[in-house]
Amino acid sequence: MPIKIENLFYDYNPNTPFVAHALKDINLEIGENYFYALIGETGSGKSTLVQHLNALLWPSKGTIRIDEHFIDGNNKKLQKKKKKGVKKLRSHVGLVFQFPEYQLFEKDVLKDVAFGPRNFGIKEEEAIQIAKDSLNLVGIDESYYNRAPFELSGGEKRRVAIAGIIALKPKILVLDEPTAGLDPLGEKEMMDLFLKIHQNGTNVILVTHNMDIVLKYAEKVIVMDKGEVKRFVTPLELFQDQEFLNTVAIEPPLVFKVARELIDNGLNLDLKNISDLPSLASEIAKSKGETK
Amino acid sequence: MRNFAMGRYRPYNTPMHRLDARVKIIALVSLMVAVFLGYGSVPLNFIIYGLIFLGLVVAMIIGKVSFLGVLRAIKAMWFMMIFILLFNVLIPTKGGDYFLIGDFKVYYSSIYNTLYIVFRLFLMLMITSILTATTSPMDMTFGLEFLLTPLKWIKVPVSSFAMILALALRFIPTLTEDTERLMRAQASRGVDFKEGKLKEKIKSITSLIIPLFSSALMRSGDLAIAMECRGYDPKAKRTKFRRKNWRISDTLWLLFFLVIFGGSIALAVLGGKYDFFQMFLDLFK
Repeated sequence: MPIKIENLFYDYNPNTPFVAHALKDINLEIGENYFYALIGETGSGKSTLVQHLNALLWPSKGTIRIDEHFIDGNNKKLQKKKKKGVKKLRSHVGLVFQFPEYQLFEKDVLKDVAFGPRNFGIKEEEAIQIAKDSLNLVGIDESYYNRAPFELSGGEKRRVAIAGIIALKPKILVLDEPTAGLDPLGEKEMMDLFLKIHQNGTNVILVTHNMDIVLKYAEKVIVMDKGEVKRFVTPLELFQDQEFLNTVAIEPPLVFKVARELIDNGLNLDLKNISDLPSLASEIAKSKGETK
Repeated sequence: MRNFAMGRYRPYNTPMHRLDARVKIIALVSLMVAVFLGYGSVPLNFIIYGLIFLGLVVAMIIGKVSFLGVLRAIKAMWFMMIFILLFNVLIPTKGGDYFLIGDFKVYYSSIYNTLYIVFRLFLMLMITSILTATTSPMDMTFGLEFLLTPLKWIKVPVSSFAMILALALRFIPTLTEDTERLMRAQASRGVDFKEGKLKEKIKSITSLIIPLFSSALMRSGDLAIAMECRGYDPKAKRTKFRRKNWRISDTLWLLFFLVIFGGSIALAVLGGKYDFFQMFLDLFK
């Protein structure tokens, strides 16, 4: 599912005193079959960028190609007119917002999950079946089907909401901080769920502030800062580059933080050899052997 | 879209913005009185509306108020204008000059009446949008609370009303943000808020309203607890965080608008007895 973004600009509140340049000249090419992370400080333009991926925001300038879909921000006429094919794109790219539990509204869980597919013209019975499959995937069992979404717990609500997006059967699933506000166990379950979805053949783009998640799950990571893409590398390459991390104020994952502290305190470690806990341990052992 | 909305506060620093909120509210009231009075004769009415219009345009330029919002309002008023015109033409009037369309008598007075209503509404829109665009919500609440002080003497809880108003104004942007976020979230699930049959539209609105209400109610609960924790007591006497300095220019403008207020009422009362416009024309004979 190639995504190609060229010279993308986006301004909030153009031509007013409140104008904010959210995206500045974004160029990105994303291949196929991926689990990528998108990181950056609050206000760096991550959410703005992902909203472009299903045409919720229309570029001020530049183009986006997602498979057969094409978003042309340079064509000013198109901005005013009804944007053709947008609806199709929205089922192609599923977008899970921050705190998705707020979007639940139906009178029972099953109906809420079936709401998405129904909007895309799928027949009632089939939509219910898809809803059941999606709920099954996120680990919500039959006993929940007829309960009102508002009486579920926070974590359950979020699962239901995510099932509502999965039910659209998107080729690309974009998740905007899906683990915010969950406890560590819930976070792990949620991430394992996304990994499962990915293994079933869906591409995943994950917006997150949690670098441990990035290190553990992401194949590559896109780093944004002040509306620009600064890096598009593997997590290891990113976290081993301490100088760059300092410039964008990203807190490295725990393993790298520990390694950094050890180096600062005089231990002779090579960051290049460290990728996870065992490699850190063996690196420490090695340096101890050397100093002896 | 909401950024061009008529009357949204625009944070500039112009003489209009620096004018005390109380003066601006009094100005609003006196100008509205002036706009809604009749001055006896048709030309005089239009002259006075024109003068007010010119004054407001100057105020808009000084205060950097967006003309776009007001222009939109006119566009929206077209339909109403035609509707009012039809009504005025069809309702029997007491007479005067008329012209004929076929066999039907159309009185000039009914056309004038329509124009009055449209002009008055339009001027009112201009006045209110100038007020809200140049006065921050906090200042406005403070001004209202101050001006309503007399009601406190008859045990009306003005401070509580002011607090409610301040909170409501404070939460408009938050709720707008909530609405936009929800609209985007539901749009991602294939809801189309613009197209579709009536039934689909109703459904799409429910998908917006129910979550919005639930989050608004939760918010208000949290807010009430937070206020309680900080010791809010509606009956306690409150001090002001921001003190406003009353300046000479404020006094001058206050006097100016009081003159307009008194003058317009006097003119309207006398205008019922004498035709000032005719007297004015006679001067040059």
